[in-house]
Amino acid sequence: MIATPVNRRFSAERIASALAKGLAYAVMSLFALMTLYPIFWLFMNSFKPTREFQMSQLGFPKSPTLDNFVGAWNLGEFSKLIPNSLIYTAGATIGIVLLSVLAGFAFAKIKSRATAPIYGSFVIGILLTVQSLMIPLFLEVNLLGIYNTRIAVLLVYIGSGLPIGIYLSTEFIKAIPGSLIESARIDGASYLRIFRSIILPMTVPVATTLAILNITNVWNEFALINILVAKTELKSLPLGMFRFSGSLSSDYGKQFAALTIGMLPMLVFYVAFRKQITKGVAAGAVKG
Amino acid sequence: MTRTRGKRGEETRAYWTMVLPAFVVYLLVMAFPIVLSLVLSLSDYNGGRMFGGKPWGVVGFDHYAKVFSDSAFWHALKNNSYIVLVSVFGQLPLGFVFAYVIYRRLVKWPDFWQGILYVPNIISIIVIGILWQTIFSPVGPLAEVMNAAIRGGFQDRLNSIIASADPSALSDEALRRILDLAGPSGAAMFTEPLIELRDLLSSYGPGNSPEVLEGLTNLFAPKWTPDFLTKDDVAMLPILFVILWMYTGMYLIMFLANMQKIDTQIVEAARIDGARETQVMRYIILPSLSGTFVNSAILAIAGSLSSFALIFAMTGGGPGHVTEILSIYMFDKAFQGSPDFPLANAIALIMVGISFVLIALTKAMEKRYGGKEE
Repeated sequence: MIATPVNRRFSAERIASALAKGLAYAVMSLFALMTLYPIFWLFMNSFKPTREFQMSQLGFPKSPTLDNFVGAWNLGEFSKLIPNSLIYTAGATIGIVLLSVLAGFAFAKIKSRATAPIYGSFVIGILLTVQSLMIPLFLEVNLLGIYNTRIAVLLVYIGSGLPIGIYLSTEFIKAIPGSLIESARIDGASYLRIFRSIILPMTVPVATTLAILNITNVWNEFALINILVAKTELKSLPLGMFRFSGSLSSDYGKQFAALTIGMLPMLVFYVAFRKQITKGVAAGAVKG
Repeated sequence: MTRTRGKRGEETRAYWTMVLPAFVVYLLVMAFPIVLSLVLSLSDYNGGRMFGGKPWGVVGFDHYAKVFSDSAFWHALKNNSYIVLVSVFGQLPLGFVFAYVIYRRLVKWPDFWQGILYVPNIISIIVIGILWQTIFSPVGPLAEVMNAAIRGGFQDRLNSIIASADPSALSDEALRRILDLAGPSGAAMFTEPLIELRDLLSSYGPGNSPEVLEGLTNLFAPKWTPDFLTKDDVAMLPILFVILWMYTGMYLIMFLANMQKIDTQIVEAARIDGARETQVMRYIILPSLSGTFVNSAILAIAGSLSSFALIFAMTGGGPGHVTEILSIYMFDKAFQGSPDFPLANAIALIMVGISFVLIALTKAMEKRYGGKEE
């Protein structure tokens, strides 16, 4: 008799936990479906001729064709977009990582009264969204005469990636024992020498995190490059794909093929580096 | 003496060699545009060469007054707040619960769920925007599934009317029921419904019911046209739904990373002492993540200020200005129709102002919650 209320509470608890679990499963499945089905649907339809798509959008292609891919590739000028995206992603990532680790070393290991205000300004920048500055940035690159240049794109990408990059590398380098640097100093090594032979090899983990974080960001970036370049020769993949939403949007076959081409590299990247990407996002967002 | 001064000198030189490149780029990309937008928002500069072109001067706060009296601005701000609300009351709690069930291994295949829920974050937002725009459009799979269901239901009812009778020789009663099923839009196709329908059916020839069914369905079955993204009062909903789905995975990863920093022994000990799963969540996990919740909420506001591409690709801010957010409102002012750069710069500075309020808020929160977690 005494045990009854406890039991009842226990079973109510179990019902509640089963409900919570069921709810978690249901919503997670819905979200997973919202991810998997559109990708599958896009992929299937990119092999259908537009006529077949208009008849039936569901199900597998009856007469699969690669025409859409060929057409989208030529029409979208992917042979220009992909190298551009690679240049922007590689250039910005290398720039961000290098500048961040360099400055991070100075902030963490060289005493200076300048550190507090300058490092502080970078940390503030973590929450400043560059997207809100796109109009003044557009006017600035025009003023500097670098509108429609790769330099402008790289400059903006590097600048907007620096706050989180510098924050993460400074915090990381702070944890490197100071005795390592002091003994190298006593042996007469210059700071740049110490940076090259001690700091750089030790910061590989944080550099990897930063690189991964920035590769996904830069590769997919749209809002900023959209106002920085207008020439096809300089456009990146997201800009190229956006064309398929406007004037080319009724040619569904080509549109889907273009989206598939644009989506695949990042999906492959994600499958290959999922653990590192997840780690990078967690590191970048914990304080951000 | 000279040696130590040389050393200090080398130290200072090294410091600036390492700091300056980053600092100069940062000033160019972040600080200079802020100053520029401040100056230009108070001026009447409106494009063209900034120096040596058309002369321009300072006009004061007129443009801010114009922004604040523009109903489209407040509407955009409202949409930004909707995005924040979806984050705070949708993505955060869902992300937390998902993280918890994955962290405690309460669901099967935790790795799969974590992996799949993050996928929307790595696909180009442009792809996501165009894809969902198509899905919600009249040619999308949603319309096809719904219309297939509607047609199926219609055909079933039609079948029950015709039953085994010969379609070319139906009774008046059956014809009337078919017309009822077709509804007013179906009846409107005829001037003499009964007679014309009988003519139509007999034209199929006797005993040809599958074709008749198909033909009548094509003619009469109501067609559902999704108008989520083109109707004023609902256009924001699909966007918010997509945003909810997109970013929940990001918060899931943030919460999970912070949960994994909690000493597992505390959780295990509590479980052994008889604490239930919900109690562990309520009294151990939740309190130690309070800082993460605050950070995430601040991130959500920053995220709503930086979002642009999804709405740009899904609706372009339309219909009208219904789905505009601040960034798109600003973009429109600068690049659509007759450009109004001073106004756009004023909007930019207002957005920067909101960011600075957020930064102050973070600093205050850090003082309060600092030390509980990194």
